[in-house]
Amino acid sequence: MSERKRINAENLHAGYDTKDIVRSISCSFGPGTFTGIIGPNGSGKTTLLRAFSRAIPSSGILELDGKDVRDYTPVELGMALGFVPQDEARPFAYTVMQVVLMARYARTSRFAALVSADYDRCHRALVETGIAHLADRSIRTLSGGEWQRVLIARALAQDTNALLLDEPTSHLDLAHQSDILMLLRNLAASGATIIGVFHDLNLAALYCDRLVMIKNGQMVADGTPEQVLTPEKIRNVYGADVVTSCHPATGRTFLMPVKTTNGNGSHLKSLNVLVISGGGSGAGLLHFLTGRGPSLSTGILATTDTDYLTAQALGIPCIPVLPFSQIPAHALEEQKAMLAQANRVILSAHPVGAGNLPVLLALRDVDPARIIIHLPEGREFASYDFTKGTATTAYQDLYAAGAACTSTYDGILRLLSPNLNGE
Amino acid sequence: MCLIIAAIITIVLCTLTGPAGFGLPSAGPGAADIVRSIRLPRVLAAFFVGASLAVAGAAMQALFRNPMADPYILGTSSGGALGASVAIVFLGGLFVPVFAWAGAVIAILIVWLIASRRGVISVETFLLTGIAVSFFFSAIVSFLIAIAGENVHQIIFWLMGGFWNASPSDAILSACILVPAGALLFFMGRDLNALSLGEETAAHLGIDAARARWSVLGGSTLLVAGAVSIAGSIGFVGLVTPHIVRMLLGPDNRVVIPACIFAGGILLVISDTLTRTFFSDLPVGIITAFIGAPFFIWLIYQRGNVT
Repeated sequence: MSERKRINAENLHAGYDTKDIVRSISCSFGPGTFTGIIGPNGSGKTTLLRAFSRAIPSSGILELDGKDVRDYTPVELGMALGFVPQDEARPFAYTVMQVVLMARYARTSRFAALVSADYDRCHRALVETGIAHLADRSIRTLSGGEWQRVLIARALAQDTNALLLDEPTSHLDLAHQSDILMLLRNLAASGATIIGVFHDLNLAALYCDRLVMIKNGQMVADGTPEQVLTPEKIRNVYGADVVTSCHPATGRTFLMPVKTTNGNGSHLKSLNVLVISGGGSGAGLLHFLTGRGPSLSTGILATTDTDYLTAQALGIPCIPVLPFSQIPAHALEEQKAMLAQANRVILSAHPVGAGNLPVLLALRDVDPARIIIHLPEGREFASYDFTKGTATTAYQDLYAAGAACTSTYDGILRLLSPNLNGE
Repeated sequence: MCLIIAAIITIVLCTLTGPAGFGLPSAGPGAADIVRSIRLPRVLAAFFVGASLAVAGAAMQALFRNPMADPYILGTSSGGALGASVAIVFLGGLFVPVFAWAGAVIAILIVWLIASRRGVISVETFLLTGIAVSFFFSAIVSFLIAIAGENVHQIIFWLMGGFWNASPSDAILSACILVPAGALLFFMGRDLNALSLGEETAAHLGIDAARARWSVLGGSTLLVAGAVSIAGSIGFVGLVTPHIVRMLLGPDNRVVIPACIFAGGILLVISDTLTRTFFSDLPVGIITAFIGAPFFIWLIYQRGNVT
């Protein structure tokens, strides 16, 4: 961290009426940094930002460039700190330029008119935010995204060293999101202190140097995106499960949501379910079952198989084997052990050739009452057969021996449920 | 600039117009007296009152971020009406202007006290409190009308507003309020612009939002209370003039406020001249509302929405 602190908060409390939304937050922000404040809805992100900007009263230490924020005159604050709200009412039909020019009020005497330098600065802000062509348009005719860029342009034209933005890209499309965030990064690179509230964690990870995560008004994590955006922290703070990976183009942390934990199907918790699949047939099923209670595992899967990648991403154990080669005996042994352990085995109908036929044949040793076959609507066993009949026979034998069969995921859930009584 | 010239022309022409005919003082004996001691003060009073109402209306609309706000919105007119009614009913019509003025100011003070009781106040609280206090005062006025007996005419005419008794001192008084309060609001044009996007926005732009709010409210209250004490509650000038000005010149309050001074003045002078010349001196409030309401509807119809 830079030893110089532009914004410094220590033990900061802020809220509405008598209720503190933000509680004992201590953090500082140096020049040349772009920080994202993240946290779930209602966690106090916006409140924290508004406390920084003095829009709401706060207690505790809050300094801007070494001076208590409350000691700034309104004009001084208007020259030192810019703020971009999420949205703003538009009761009057000002032109875009008129609104952006308001940024210059703080630097102009009330008895003087704005000068051409002010107009030039505002025009530059319009160019930077890509809305120069809208300068003379009435703000009431703008789209949400255009209006958001006007608000950003106005804050830029204030020429402040610190800039606070409340979800600055919430109304923007993909291209404008990255334009604005690159602009903010460049501003930070030239020495400004940028703090933004973000809902989109991936955007925040992509552009911010540092993330501050808050929950219930308190800081729970502070660090680089890699340090803050771990699946454990996301689960604790957002109650959502994600897998992290590396952004293929930037190398930055990238999150993908996998499921939301909820109480549904929790009566399946004691269940040990083994999914036998292949060729991508089980990917959707694995995702569907994740978070619904049962502890999942998969059987033998080739490492190029989509099902293997899904199992990896979801953290489901499996027996990986090399593609296009004979399944080694130890893998079959391992799968045998897993089959014995599983309360239920779901056989997701999948293409069977000579290579993976042993996997299917291994199911003959399993009690058919424990097997559920998933056969999608409108398909027949024969359509998965690349063994000239052997696989079809194997499928049909299992069915004839008493294995349950369903065409839907919900059907699988239903078939899994009564198991509790039997075990 | 055009507005200033138009204002001067209007004042001159309207001073020369009246039920006694149009023309220069040389038209006959006593004509000079009519012009100097009756028409001129009345025209000037109408001008200053119209200007006061229009400026206060524009300021209130910006402050309350609501183009539908009018200068009476915080209870000034009902407060003034109550004061005037009290003077009419209990004092036999003495000190009506003083009581009207006091009533208007007291109404605002009550609204201010109620609305600011809980620390941070929002303009919405202000607006709602103003409406509530207005209704309360109107109820008392209605009660007074019910028991007023023979004075009922006086109260009703006062309520409709007019310049029958405009004296030179009225014209001077209204000018004395308009000049400083108008100048205050004129130099707060940029504050009004920023406030019209929200107090928080204004604060972020370097405006002392709380001080600006009190200055705007204070200045507007003085203007409206002065206008009410001189001419009763004349409707529509304060609501419609700012709209016309914004349609012609845009919503920038640094322009709207000075323009409203002249536009509001012109509108009310013309309305008053119409009534005293052609409508046997009906209350000018009737004329402004009679012309103003259809005009306003036409504007809304034309624009699809308001500025």
